[in-house]
Amino acid sequence: MTIAVPEHHGLRRAALTATALVAGAGVCVTVVSVLPSNRNHTSLPPPARSALAFAHPTPLGAGARTPAARWAPVRAGATARRAPHSGALPVARVDTRTPESTRNIVQVLGRARKRAGRLWVRVRLAILPNGATAWIPRRALGGYVFVHSRLVVDRRHLQAVLFHGRHVVFRARVGIGKPAWPTPSGVFYVRNRLTRYRSPAYGPIAFGTSARSTMLTDWPAGGYVGIHGTDHPELLPGRVSHGCIRMANRDILRLGRLMPVGTPLTVR
Amino acid sequence: MADRASRPSASPLAPGGPTLDQIDPSGAMSEAVDRIGRTTRVGLLKRAGAGATVLLGAWRTPAAAAATTQNQDRAILNYALLLEYLQASFYTEAERMRALKGALARQAHVVGAHERAHVRSLRAVLGRAAIARPRFDYRGVTEDPSAFRDTAVAFEDLAVAAYKAQAPRVQSKSLLAALLAIHSVEARHAAWIRYLAGRLPAPDAFDDPMPRRRVEAIVDDTRFIVAPASTSGKQSPRFTG
Repeated sequence: MTIAVPEHHGLRRAALTATALVAGAGVCVTVVSVLPSNRNHTSLPPPARSALAFAHPTPLGAGARTPAARWAPVRAGATARRAPHSGALPVARVDTRTPESTRNIVQVLGRARKRAGRLWVRVRLAILPNGATAWIPRRALGGYVFVHSRLVVDRRHLQAVLFHGRHVVFRARVGIGKPAWPTPSGVFYVRNRLTRYRSPAYGPIAFGTSARSTMLTDWPAGGYVGIHGTDHPELLPGRVSHGCIRMANRDILRLGRLMPVGTPLTVR
Repeated sequence: MADRASRPSASPLAPGGPTLDQIDPSGAMSEAVDRIGRTTRVGLLKRAGAGATVLLGAWRTPAAAAATTQNQDRAILNYALLLEYLQASFYTEAERMRALKGALARQAHVVGAHERAHVRSLRAVLGRAAIARPRFDYRGVTEDPSAFRDTAVAFEDLAVAAYKAQAPRVQSKSLLAALLAIHSVEARHAAWIRYLAGRLPAPDAFDDPMPRRRVEAIVDDTRFIVAPASTSGKQSPRFTG
């Protein structure tokens, strides 16, 4: 169906439109002419741009790596006890220094417990029997340090593997203890890092660990197991040491760049 | 919600807030046996503001004046970065300790992410001039919910007052805009944790700024900034070999 529109209606519409346009233009001119006089009183400059590129807040757990372990320096000598209270049976005395005169550290396990207004933490100790844990007052320790690496030594395949998170960042063939003086198995931690000493038998870097030989208990300084280089690389890999974990000097140098003190060590 | 904000207090932080001597009911902080010399902490704080002292006498030429302005702004940014390090590490450690629950855990989760973002942004703008992250020892306050809450109130009030004091000294408008963007967020954090602590979120109509020297003295008194433990040595190994 078609609707017929008389011609004079179109003419009237055009005239109305023209009138509206002229009126609109007039209003615009008036507003523009008024604005400059008002600008000084009402308009604001744009805000200054920030010099910072704002970083996006990243909650822990959203892409953040979970630490492999936590350690703390021993700030004051303390008695480690079987339970988190001062009346519990003593397990060992924890000193502030290692036999190598570096700051002693302990691996901290789990949450602290508050007893009688005092915080206690469970720690892994560098004592025999290997893997022993006990409770010490939180105030005996310094600030926590979190590490993301872990070292695994496989005695069967004579191999050491360092992980950062889930990624393997280092792998090397190693020498371990002879059958008479086996490298102890278990979970330990790296206690210190020694360099620039004059003992070629240990190579350029030696890491001290919390592991102790169960056979060589009368060894000087207590028979701690180290991870170090060697001046006899031709013996590697093999069961050649008194319990220490040996590797080629180029490997221990590389490990020295990758592995921080406090790294948990698993010997299996 | 109890209004503890109205009680008389000798707090250097904000009316009703605790002094930092009061923020550790467990005694972990006050019983500090840390043997680290004051020089370590004071040195760090001084380095954070070192740029400002370099400026004396460098004002004669326009180029020197521009350098002076830049150095002053950089010193203020490093000072802000130190406060952000202090807070970011505090919340991160608290979250990793998993000792907090409920609303307090949520506050640490959200605010920790903010503080880490502040650190990243400040480090990015400072580039190589950024101070390194110090080593912290929170002395157990991240493991005890009540000690955590009181310390967080103190930290946030302190940050708000510290930013407020520095803002008028910033020469660059774009840096001022950036610091104000952080400052208002710190004020929101302060209100949030004050609410959780049962204190008035906004106790006063006007806030006072806190000069840097006073902030530094308070931070130093906490002994939260420590020297790294010396775990490396040169003594010959006596391992089993």
